[in-house]
Amino acid sequence: MAPRDEAQEGETPPLGQRLFDNVFLLLIVGNLIMVAVFTGWGLWELATMPVATLP
Amino acid sequence: MTATAPLPAGAPAPAAAGFRTCPITARRIHRQAELLIRVNAVASILALLVGVIAAIGLVLTRWPAVRLLPADWFYRVLTAHGLSMLIFFIIFFEMAVLHFAGPVLLNSRVAAPRTAWAGFGLMAGGALLTEAMVWGGKADVLMTSYVPLRAHPLFYLGIILFAVGALVQTGIFFASLVVAKRERTYTGSVPLVTYGAVTAAIIAVITLLHGAAVYIPTFLWSVGLTPMPDPEVYRMLWWALGHSSQQINVAAMVAIWYLLGALTVGAVVLNEKISRTAFVLYILFISMASAHHLLVDPGFSPGWKIVNTSYFMYMAVLASMLHGFTVPASIELGQRLRGFTEGMFGWLRRAPWGDPGFSAMIFSIVIFGFIGGITGVTFGTEQINIIAHNTLRVPGHFHATVVAGTALAFMGVTYYLIPLIFRKQVAFWRLAKWQPWLFAGGMVVFTMAMTFAGTFGAPRRHWDIGFSQAPFDVEYHPAVNVMLGFVALGGLTAAVSVLSYILITVWSVLAGKPYVAGAPLAPGHGVPGGLTSPPRHTADVDARNAALHGPERGILGVTPGTVVLVFIFLAVFALYYFTNWKLLSFVWKIG
Amino acid sequence: MDTDTHTGIDSPRGTWWKPAHRTEKLWVAIAFAWCMVLFAMMPLWHFKGGQNPAGIRRRVDPQAFYARTQEFIKAHQVGTDRGMPIVEPPPGSDVYLTAMSFQWTPILKLRKGAEYILHLSALDVNHGFNLYPVNVNFQVVPGYDYGLRVTPTEAGDFRIVCNEFCGIGHHTMVGRVIVTDEAGREVARTEAARVLGATDPAQEDQP
Repeated sequence: MAPRDEAQEGETPPLGQRLFDNVFLLLIVGNLIMVAVFTGWGLWELATMPVATLP
Repeated sequence: MTATAPLPAGAPAPAAAGFRTCPITARRIHRQAELLIRVNAVASILALLVGVIAAIGLVLTRWPAVRLLPADWFYRVLTAHGLSMLIFFIIFFEMAVLHFAGPVLLNSRVAAPRTAWAGFGLMAGGALLTEAMVWGGKADVLMTSYVPLRAHPLFYLGIILFAVGALVQTGIFFASLVVAKRERTYTGSVPLVTYGAVTAAIIAVITLLHGAAVYIPTFLWSVGLTPMPDPEVYRMLWWALGHSSQQINVAAMVAIWYLLGALTVGAVVLNEKISRTAFVLYILFISMASAHHLLVDPGFSPGWKIVNTSYFMYMAVLASMLHGFTVPASIELGQRLRGFTEGMFGWLRRAPWGDPGFSAMIFSIVIFGFIGGITGVTFGTEQINIIAHNTLRVPGHFHATVVAGTALAFMGVTYYLIPLIFRKQVAFWRLAKWQPWLFAGGMVVFTMAMTFAGTFGAPRRHWDIGFSQAPFDVEYHPAVNVMLGFVALGGLTAAVSVLSYILITVWSVLAGKPYVAGAPLAPGHGVPGGLTSPPRHTADVDARNAALHGPERGILGVTPGTVVLVFIFLAVFALYYFTNWKLLSFVWKIG
Repeated sequence: MDTDTHTGIDSPRGTWWKPAHRTEKLWVAIAFAWCMVLFAMMPLWHFKGGQNPAGIRRRVDPQAFYARTQEFIKAHQVGTDRGMPIVEPPPGSDVYLTAMSFQWTPILKLRKGAEYILHLSALDVNHGFNLYPVNVNFQVVPGYDYGLRVTPTEAGDFRIVCNEFCGIGHHTMVGRVIVTDEAGREVARTEAARVLGATDPAQEDQP
């Protein structure tokens, strides 16, 4: 089966492909998003919660 | 198909030290990769054995007519069941998957094998230590061990060692990817199955880092060195470990679906960009939905809850719905290109249902999607969770995802691993062919009955819903007890099926006959059809493929059967989802 | 149009970043739209719906919360049942319920249609507040005061089942909530008792 793609060996793939292929970029971004949106924000909410006045 | 694909320039020569050539697939397999796969798989099966024995004790206790275990043993065995299955069994198996999807699929070597072995050693030692603490009654705190409940320090230490070992083996997987790329043992991008494993590995890092963050301070508190972690901080961090670890399972499971599809029916990837986008969405967004365990907690605002539980506007649910299309579509396309083109579903009817790898894959897809996915997304909604939190709906859901989804897929792929990696014939072959059917049937009954009981409000993690020793009476609808009976029957059926799986795998590996491709099989033994007669596309595959992609096919396109199936799925999803909003609207006003 | 055939175990050749077939793109669009519906429902219900876990959330010292609960009991006690005080707070007021291994204190007597701020907290470990058979569920965490604005929509005799493992007596941990009708009368037991099993009103002592 002959490949019929435009890119020959050595030609640069599209940016999307290169980004998706970059395992370490994904590792870092995945961790950053989680640590910021879930962990960091969550810890901030707990740390800044006001104390009850027990009315 | 794949068997005769020429190897890239950098792939090691056949006689290279430490490699063997697979007689079935002609791949170069690193001996260390093979050994690491085997030892992680064996450890996984041992953990599974502990977990399934515990499961039998649990269903026979929650079945009010039997009530097998006394209260203290129930909670102890529940602790052991959760840890053995959700942490030890499944993560050991995933380490095996990583060593396969990395070095083996890329014709490459394991980077730093001794480090990988050290990681395995830590995992094994840690698991044994924690199991000893649990069965010894030193950790009656359930798998979640929420502070202020307190276990023996060695309980936490065992889990820490396990997590560190898993992080090490995961790190070796990443290192092996780098080595494979540098040594050019493959060209272009990694295969899609490997990409799924990469997704699982990245989520594993997120998981294990949070695990360290929660268990190290808790361990230090348990030995009296530091103050107790705040209970809400603990819950938040624990679930970042606890639920994200299940997302490792989702990614690994989808990777195995693509693998089994390829092996059993020559499943063809429709579009790499779509499939990989789905994996990337998992990497970016799936872990934050750990928040759905915290939706009715006092610690967090609606904003935090809504953003996180939605996997960031449901982008990871989108990913699952993409896989929900691409995986069956790949199977349908592979089958159509083999000539099975009759009608809308001829490709499915004429698929190799007698191949346990195939049947396990299909049941895994269907049960995970229809029962697991739909229920989970529904009561992972901030407000619907009010009627579901801590009821039996929760374990009803996750047994459909991680057990009937991931574990079943893992069982299916084992029937291929035994001949390919252990190089043995599968013993008790007739039993093996039925095993996924038995398991799927049992689990469908189990999960649906449990979910139904939970809808009445019946609690999870609870020894006696007859409340015989409580000051006030609580009478559940009589259906609940009936449902718990069905939970036991379904669970026992599935447990028998798991014990069969363990018997088959252990016997095949220890006492089984060696597998030589082409040689006759021993009586009672077998090997999946995907190996004995690999699926091959027709000679005019390119023409067929072009025709399937042609505009005259209309909107149903390349894979009409799959299109029908996914719309049925969407309809069921919408119906279940909006029914639950309606149910919510009937309860008291709460704000 | 990508019509190369390869399986998931083969490396795709060359550039694979290509547009999908239009049917697949249609599914992506439909799935995306569905995800937007899923996402929109939560803020929508937050503003328009009758059930939300938002509440008034505060940190609290467990002993201080328990002391406040004792004050609350003293101020509004109207009876006891099996040794547990029954408390009838005025509509619109702050109500305090403490969870501890293995009881819910006190018994609450509320009125149908009236709103209360129900403060939930625990003295010792995590507990689970499950109001049966209504079926609403909340996590009760030591160190946190979960103030939920609650309006009972039906009269009856309800139970609080603990559904978070809290120790060996976890399955004995049951509380009680009585909801009177709008006029303040306890409803006839027959209807509620059919589902729940009767607790004889004659057993309730007056102080």
